[in-house]
Amino acid sequence: MNEMNESPLASLKPSPWSSPYLRFVLFGLLAASLPLLSGSGLMKSSTLNYIGNVLVYAVAALGLNLLLGYAGLISLGTAGFMGLGSYIAAYAVKDMGLSFWAALTAAVLIPTLIGLLIGLISLRIEGIYLAIATLCVSEILLKSFEQADSITGGMQGKSVSYPVIFGHTFNRSSTYILLVVALTLVMILTHNFVSGQKGRALHAMRGSEVAAQAMGVNLLQYRLIAFSLATAYAALSGALYVFFIKFSYPSVWNLNLSLYVLAAVVIGGLRSIYGTIIGTFVVWAVPDLVLKKLPVVGGINGLPYIFNGILIILVVMFAPQGISGLWQAKFPLKRKKKEKEEAISGKKEDE
Amino acid sequence: MVDPLMDLSLAPETATHSLAREEALRVERLSISFGGLRAVDDLSFAVRKKEIFGLIGPNGAGKTTVFNCITQFYRPDEGNVFFRAGKGRAERVVNLVGQPVHSIIGLGLVRTFQNVEIIQELSLLENVLIGAHIDFKATAFEQAFKLPRALREERSFRKKAEEALAFLGIAGRRDLPAGGQPYGVLKKVELARTLMANPRLIILDEPAAGLNDSETQELSSTIYQIRDVYDCTILLVEHDMHLVMGVCDRICAISFGKFLACDAPEEIKRNKLVQEAYLGEEEV
Repeated sequence: MNEMNESPLASLKPSPWSSPYLRFVLFGLLAASLPLLSGSGLMKSSTLNYIGNVLVYAVAALGLNLLLGYAGLISLGTAGFMGLGSYIAAYAVKDMGLSFWAALTAAVLIPTLIGLLIGLISLRIEGIYLAIATLCVSEILLKSFEQADSITGGMQGKSVSYPVIFGHTFNRSSTYILLVVALTLVMILTHNFVSGQKGRALHAMRGSEVAAQAMGVNLLQYRLIAFSLATAYAALSGALYVFFIKFSYPSVWNLNLSLYVLAAVVIGGLRSIYGTIIGTFVVWAVPDLVLKKLPVVGGINGLPYIFNGILIILVVMFAPQGISGLWQAKFPLKRKKKEKEEAISGKKEDE
Repeated sequence: MVDPLMDLSLAPETATHSLAREEALRVERLSISFGGLRAVDDLSFAVRKKEIFGLIGPNGAGKTTVFNCITQFYRPDEGNVFFRAGKGRAERVVNLVGQPVHSIIGLGLVRTFQNVEIIQELSLLENVLIGAHIDFKATAFEQAFKLPRALREERSFRKKAEEALAFLGIAGRRDLPAGGQPYGVLKKVELARTLMANPRLIILDEPAAGLNDSETQELSSTIYQIRDVYDCTILLVEHDMHLVMGVCDRICAISFGKFLACDAPEEIKRNKLVQEAYLGEEEV
């Protein structure tokens, strides 16, 4: 190919704003400055709770996005693993007297191992078996949360206090900052992961299974990696939840929550980190912070369900790439709009 | 990566009996059926080291099926595929039949696809980097935290990928997304991707399909260059007879999955069986 017909895009110099890390840190700083607003009375104190919730759920949604966006698999067990993470964290800190870090590690590792086991069994067969298996496990976990009184506190739920880290006792605002730091870190690590070799392998698996296999990608192994990450993220999300909300009730960790996380991923946009955050915000915060304050509409019972349901229909029909897809179509900064080559590559079957 | 003991244990059984010294690949009595259709029927041929070997046949002859049987995308019903894997001291003979698909590239056997299999969302460079997938040693943890080994690997393979793109003359486009690139460029990206794997044998499935005349012209010299610079054997399926006859050292012709002839291009052209297969039987 001649070098003459180069696209001018190739010679564009990246501006310093294109550094993803700078943007992640800015995002973190922005989110972390919200308590100041509520402290100075510009924002209601309860609003901070909603935002904190969004940050927590965003961690789980990022994990599910790895699974759905790259491996094309659906987990309906997000809530179960989140709950498991929350109870393990609470039990480790409150009943066993472990440190915050030890509790966090256990709360992430144990569910991940369980997830790995489920994945090993259900991922050998393609299709929706993972969804079915995770749905079952999640329901079993939910029943266990209700029954295992001595560990989970049963229907009364389990309470913990704000975390104590390195001898420093956190309060609501500082725990909120902790959530921001955790989410920002998760975003950075996720970005690094998907832009590295493992992420490219996941991309290849999604883009062309045959090419991925020919290039040495073990499909089962990479489906397992994606699912374990989704489980680990969910468990971390649950642990962060219990330290921020200070309570964990069985009724929180139901199928509804798993579907909400799924909705956040689909609405936000597959394979997009910021899209996932925005999707989570739309799904959890918009109904409570915005819609409920509207006249007439705000009074409808079950408004969040209706809102999210309509949104999913709209996204699937008009913007399959979610909010991030709309954004990129409008501002195609680094990636040109995809033009499929079907006209030229029309199948020339040999066999 | 290579266990020397394994190597020795393999040697007496396979190395001496299955692959002559000058051979890189031997397909032996290969058969596969789909339902009632015998797509490949008792086919045998051998490819010599550093040879450019063509596999031809009329439409539906089963050429791509043969490729898929060699690379283990299909499991042949019968037969063996012996392959000289590794380089230098690690060289050994492996029977490919029964190996997991994803392990084939690690033996030094890498392929392209008839309809280019490129990841549209990734840049050309990232697409090429996928070819080095199995050479990365850093763990997911090291990559997520960008620890030194992960950074080092990424840098060195990026350089290698840039070299492969430059070798094929498309280095200037490396950061553009693959989606929307011309077909000829994508074909080159696929070629560059195979070069990342330090191949001993490259299998090209219709490399000229969809290319215009000048691109096809360029392709034959590229194939020679790849063989010489990257020191490997090339096996190709192609419909463009001009390319096949010009570039191949030897050609194997098949029809309806059966062996017809295996010879130098000139001989193949004159072969009665081959002519019949392509043009139909002469009415006598």
